[in-house]
Amino acid sequence: MSPFRARARAEIEAGPPAATLSPILRKLVADSRDQLATASPPDARARAQAARSYAVDHLDELQDQLRESCARQDIGYHRAATAEEAVALVTQLLGDARRVAKSKSMVAEEVGLTHALRVRGKEVLETDIGEYIVDIEGRGPSHITAPALHLNRARIRDLLAGAGADVPDDNPVRLSRAVRDVVAEFFGEVDAGITGANAVVANSGRIVIVENEGNVSLGVSRPRLHIAITGMEKVVADEEAALAVLQVLAPSATAQPLTAYTHFLGAPEEGKERHLVVVDNGRSEILADERYRDVLRCIRCGACMNACPVYTAAGGLSYGSPYMGPIGAVVSPLLWRDGRHADLPSASSLCGRCTEVCPVGIPLHRMLLDLRAGEAENGGSRVEKAAWKSWAAAFAGRQGRAASWLARLGLRAGGRLPGLPVGGARPIPAASPSRDPAMLVPLNSIELEPAPEPEPLAEDVVAAFRERASVVGAIVADEAEPEEGDRRVRATAAVASTGSVLLTGEAAARGALMDARRIVVDVEEASVVRFPQELGPALAGDGDALILTGASRTADIEKRIVRGIHGPEALVVVVGSGTAGT
Amino acid sequence: MARVALFVPCYMAALRPDDGGHARRVLERLGDEVQTIVGPCCGQPAFNSGYRSEAKSVGRALLRAARGHETIVIPSGSCASMVKHYLPGLWAGPRGASIERMSERFVEFGAYVAAHPNVAALPLRLSGAVTYHDSCHGRRELGLTEGAVGLLEQVEGLDVRRLAYEDECCGFGGTFTLKEPEVSVAMARAKLEDVASRGVRVLVSSDLSCLAHLEATARATDQSLETWTLAELLDRALA
Repeated sequence: MSPFRARARAEIEAGPPAATLSPILRKLVADSRDQLATASPPDARARAQAARSYAVDHLDELQDQLRESCARQDIGYHRAATAEEAVALVTQLLGDARRVAKSKSMVAEEVGLTHALRVRGKEVLETDIGEYIVDIEGRGPSHITAPALHLNRARIRDLLAGAGADVPDDNPVRLSRAVRDVVAEFFGEVDAGITGANAVVANSGRIVIVENEGNVSLGVSRPRLHIAITGMEKVVADEEAALAVLQVLAPSATAQPLTAYTHFLGAPEEGKERHLVVVDNGRSEILADERYRDVLRCIRCGACMNACPVYTAAGGLSYGSPYMGPIGAVVSPLLWRDGRHADLPSASSLCGRCTEVCPVGIPLHRMLLDLRAGEAENGGSRVEKAAWKSWAAAFAGRQGRAASWLARLGLRAGGRLPGLPVGGARPIPAASPSRDPAMLVPLNSIELEPAPEPEPLAEDVVAAFRERASVVGAIVADEAEPEEGDRRVRATAAVASTGSVLLTGEAAARGALMDARRIVVDVEEASVVRFPQELGPALAGDGDALILTGASRTADIEKRIVRGIHGPEALVVVVGSGTAGT
Repeated sequence: MARVALFVPCYMAALRPDDGGHARRVLERLGDEVQTIVGPCCGQPAFNSGYRSEAKSVGRALLRAARGHETIVIPSGSCASMVKHYLPGLWAGPRGASIERMSERFVEFGAYVAAHPNVAALPLRLSGAVTYHDSCHGRRELGLTEGAVGLLEQVEGLDVRRLAYEDECCGFGGTFTLKEPEVSVAMARAKLEDVASRGVRVLVSSDLSCLAHLEATARATDQSLETWTLAELLDRALA
C-alpha cells in the first residue's frame, strides 16, 4: 500500500475530510470563478501566465538583475543552494536576535525553517493565525493558503484551550482574536521578522508580499531586522509582471479581489536591515527538465487543491508533504529526489480540473502522467511491471483473452468500501441490464435555480470603486471628521475592480499605519484606474508601496471571515475631486 | 449514406456488450452503414499508469484495426481522448504526425450523433427523468458536454436534471480506483449524493467506465440506481 493510500485511508476512517472540506471548497471554487470574472480583466490569466513564463524562461538573467537592484536598495541578497544552506544562512543573518516573528512562507515549510531555528535556540512564533493553530497541533499545514483548513472550530478551541488561551466557546471571532492577542503581545518585544515573498521584482528589488491579517505589516516594521525567504522562481521582471500575478493570486486563492495588504517593500528604514534569501533546493534541476520546468510558474495560490476532488476526499495531510494537492503531487517528487514522495503522482484520477483552474496555465495533469512514466521506468514495482507486460501481450494480439482482463477493473473498489463488510461476490453490473420502467419516474419535482450571475463592474470607474471598496469592508465617504487616532494619508492611485487604494512613500510607512485606530485615505477621482494591472505608472521607482484593500481580516477558521485582526479597526476612503483632504 | 466504423472498446465489450448494439442501432437509424471493431484497447490503462511502451503496442493494434475506415465512432469520451490527445505522442517524428492525422478520424459517439445531418429527424421519445454524468476527459479534453446534453434535451418527454456539481470527477480514474480505492469510493459517494439530490434514479453518461464505478458503489451503499450509456438512452428513446 502506498504511503498516500495508508494516510488517506486513516484520515477517511477517522472521519471523512470531505465532510469539512467539501462545502467550503465547493463554495470557494464558485466564488473564485466569479471573482476572476469581475475583479480582473478578461485576459488576466493570459497576462499572469505570460509574466510567469517570461520569468521562468529568463530566470538566471532576472536573478542577476535582482541582485543588482537589491544592492541599490541596500537589501542583502543571498543565495541558498540547499535546504541546509537556507537554514544556515537565516541563522547567521539572525545573529543574536532571539525573538523571531514568522509569517507564512511555503519555502520556510519546505526547508523546515521554524523547527530548525527552534533547535538552535530561537524563540520563533508563527504569527499567521492558521499557522499558529497548526503549529500547536503539530501535524503541519493541510493547505498552502489555509493551513488549518482540516480543523473545525471545536477542535481549534480545544487546541487553543490546551495552549492556555481563554476561549469560553468556539465562536470563530473569539478564536481568531485569541490568537491575535498572543501574536500582538509577542510583537511588543521582537528582534526579527521572517516572511516569505509572493514575488520579487528584478528591476526594482522590491519584495512583494500579500497578507490579510496585518502580521506581515508588523513583522516587516516592528523589529530592526527583516528576512524574506523565497524560492528562486518567484522573481518577476517588473512591476507590471508583479501586478499581473497579483491580479489572479487572491481571486484564485481565496476568492478575494486582493488581500487586505499587498506590500511592495523597498529599502529598509534608517537603522534597520532587510535581507532576501533566495532558495534553489532542487529548482535548478526542475528548470533544466523540459517536461517539468513550467511548474516553476506556480504562484502558490492553491486553486488546484481547492478544485481537486482527490484533495477534498483525502485531505491535505494525506499527501505527507508541505506541498499538497495537484501541485504537491507534481513538485514534491521533483524537490525531494530520494523517492519519499514517489507515490504522489498516482494520487490523482487525472480529471484535469487542476489544469483547468490554474491561473498560470500549468498543465498539471499532463505532468502527473510524465511523472508516472518516469516512475515506471526508474522505479515501480516488479509485480506491476509484469502485469502490464502480460496485459499488453493479451491486447496487442488476439482480442479474446483481453476481455476478461479488464472486466474486473472499476468494480473492485465499490465492493471494498471502507467500513463495510466485503462480500465474496463483487457487484458486477449485468452484461444485459434489465431495466425497470419505474426507475425513470422521478422521486420528486425539484426546482433547480440557476446560480446567480456575478454583478458586473460598473462602467464608471469612480462609481465602481466606491461600490467595490465598500464590498471589501472599507468605509466610503465624501468627507471624514478627524478623530483621535486617525492616520490620514493621500492615495497615489485607487483601483475600481478591487476597491483598493495605493499608498507610496511616506504614506506607506507601516509603523504609523499599524499604530492608528483608523486609516483615512483621500482618493482623487482622477487617480482611479479600472484594474490592478493599470497601477504600473503609479508604482514607478523603487520606493516602498502598499495597496490596501479593506481592513485587516482572517478566514483561517472554517473560511469564516473575521474582520479586524492587527492594525487599525477601520479603513475610511474619502473620494473627492480637486481639493479633497488637503 | 455514410459508412462508419463503430469501435466498441475493450471495457464495453467485456462489461456491457449490449451497449455496442445500442450504439450501432442509433447509427443505423441515422442512416449510416456500420461496421464494428470489437474489443481492442486504446492503451489508456497502461498509459495512465506510466507504462508507455505497453500502451503503444496495444494502441498500435487498435490503429491497425481502424485502418481503411474514414470515420471511427467511439462510444467513450475517455478512449476518444486517449486516441486523439495522447496516442500520437507515443510515436516520434513523421510517424507521430501521420498517426495524429489518423487520430482525427476518430470521433466520440455523442459528438458524432449531435453533428449528424439527420439528427434532427430522429423520433426520440422517452418519458421520465434522468440526470447526466459528464466524464472528465469528455468534458475537458473534448468539450463534449453541450453536445451530449443537447441530445438528451432533444428527447421528447424526458426531464433532464443537471447535477449541481457536474464538473466533479466520479473517482474512477482507471487504475486510480485500484490504487486508491478508499479515496476513489469517497469521490463516487459525493457524486452519488449529488445524483440523489436531483430526485432521479437513472444516470446517463457517455462513459461506461464512470458508470460502472458509480453503479458498483451505489450497490454497495444500497442506493437505487440504473446507469445508462448515452447510446442506450437514445436507442430506447427510438424504440
